[in-house]
Amino acid sequence: MALVELSDVSKTYFDHVPVRALSGINLDLERGAFAATVGPSGSGKTTLLNLVGGLDRPDTGSVRIAGLDISTASPAALAEFRLRHLGFVFQSFNLFPVLSVMENLEFVPALKGTPKAERVRRAEALLELAGLADLRRKRPDELSGGQQQRVAVLRAILPEPDLVLADEPTANLDSENATLLLDMMERLNKERAVTFLFSTHDPAVMRRARRLIRLKDGRLADGVEPDGLEP
Amino acid sequence: MLFWQMAWRNVWRYRRRTLLTVLTIALGLAFGILMRGIGDGFHEQMVDNSVRAEIGHLQLHLRGYHRDPSLQKTLPDATLVEQAIRQTPHLLGYSMRVLGDGLASTADNSAGVAVVGIVPEMERTVTTINRAIVAGRYLDQGMNRPILIGERLSQTLDARLDDKLVLMVQAADGSMGGQLFRVAGIFRSGSPELDRGVVYILRTDAQSLYSLDSRLTEAALLLDSSESVEPARRFLAARLSSAPVEILPWYVVAPFLEQFIELDDAFFYIIVVILFFVISVGILNTVMMSVFERVREFGVMMALGTRPRQVVRLVIQEAVVISLAGAVLGSLLGSGSTLLVESTGIDLSRWAAGASAVGITATVIHPTLTFANLAASNLAVVLVVLLVAFYPAIRASRLRPVEALRHV
Repeated sequence: MALVELSDVSKTYFDHVPVRALSGINLDLERGAFAATVGPSGSGKTTLLNLVGGLDRPDTGSVRIAGLDISTASPAALAEFRLRHLGFVFQSFNLFPVLSVMENLEFVPALKGTPKAERVRRAEALLELAGLADLRRKRPDELSGGQQQRVAVLRAILPEPDLVLADEPTANLDSENATLLLDMMERLNKERAVTFLFSTHDPAVMRRARRLIRLKDGRLADGVEPDGLEP
Repeated sequence: MLFWQMAWRNVWRYRRRTLLTVLTIALGLAFGILMRGIGDGFHEQMVDNSVRAEIGHLQLHLRGYHRDPSLQKTLPDATLVEQAIRQTPHLLGYSMRVLGDGLASTADNSAGVAVVGIVPEMERTVTTINRAIVAGRYLDQGMNRPILIGERLSQTLDARLDDKLVLMVQAADGSMGGQLFRVAGIFRSGSPELDRGVVYILRTDAQSLYSLDSRLTEAALLLDSSESVEPARRFLAARLSSAPVEILPWYVVAPFLEQFIELDDAFFYIIVVILFFVISVGILNTVMMSVFERVREFGVMMALGTRPRQVVRLVIQEAVVISLAGAVLGSLLGSGSTLLVESTGIDLSRWAAGASAVGITATVIHPTLTFANLAASNLAVVLVVLLVAFYPAIRASRLRPVEALRHV
């Protein structure tokens, strides 16, 4: 069974006039995928990520993740679902400014009730893996953009979610930091089987993705490449 | 624990704004504590003055006397009553009296008066009338028909020291009679009622005047504090359960005092409500700004799986941090200022003449600091802050993550 199943999903926004963001989307995403939604601005990439992430609801159709239909769940149930199954990486990093790197990493496990010692052990192991161990006590404003985004990725994967959703993760990074970030996410995907779904304009991300989901005017464009292709 | 850390650090992100809010809370609380202290001190002094001037903390009469005083209603078995009084806990002193009324006349004038027959040494353990003498001297058992009159009455009657004064009364047996007294002393109690309309004579003279033999109409008790009234009343009620006596606390004997205190408290609470309303608007502004400046952050928290009630908790925790900081500072300021003024007192003698005209005899107010005042003030501040923070907290928890994340 696919990890993510979208069935005939449509979404329209109302901003003075109705804007059809997605229309009739049918999509499956397998566990362990390293996939990117691509397309021009306004094609529906972010809307697709928001629906898969349970941050928004489809007008029609259903969104199932790990077997659960999240289209009809309550806000509290959705929050619980995101906590247990999803990780997020945002374009603007969005680390909590009042927490240190270590505390940012501990945030989601703390919400899940993971004991402190276990949270710290896992966070330190990941920081070591990512070469960021020296930054554990620093606050986000003491880090570069690249460092912040790598910490954000670690925050997303530390709770071992089924799926990490990354919205334009390299958009605010220079090419060197973007490469470092992609290297790290690719390694996590291969070594820990973490499933990634990006939305991106970045050719570097598109080159690394093993599956490209092309969107145009809110619809899936021809040429969806099947999962499993090695770059 | 992580949420408390976040709350603490979030509060101090906007240091100046937080400090201003903490200061607002602290000043409001300090004002409340000081005003309550002044009010309590004022009330305590008023009660003490009234109790010490005349009424005592507790009074005992034959049942029904207070509602309809009469010379026929004398204390049953005064010896038994006195024995019980002597064993009363918290007792400082007591006076067994004869109360009556009559017409006081000099050669030229006359005035209706209340007559109090006392044993001088006994009376001085309860009231301060012996210390209120401004001319002449206090009563003495060795004197021949002495009488103490108030300063205002002496003016009304145009009676001076050693002048003769006739008391015309209706005795307990219904007969009319009069006796000649000599003014031994003139007192100024500060109470217009007392100074204008009460005279003191020896108890034996009063018993003779009213044909009461050895009977008494009232016992007045002075206790160590107002708080002792209830335990003392319960003790006497148990000891005298078989006797038909009424045991009345000062607030029943002088209900206007209680009513004045209640009215004064009501004014105080109105001021406090207005004050807290003003403070709460300031706090609401701070918490609202703090929430709306972090909409995106709340969006991230929710996207990561923070439940709506946890968002409420975080905002409330931030309000708790602010309110506790304000409460600690306010308690220090309020307690400090109250203790400072407690030792020096607030001199209201400039307005004393006007106040005494309406029965308020306290001229130097000594505020009192009580744990109950401190605890209630702090609790009120914390509750107000929590109440105020609840609305922005709910607003934050109802943000839609997808919209919050787009917030700039």
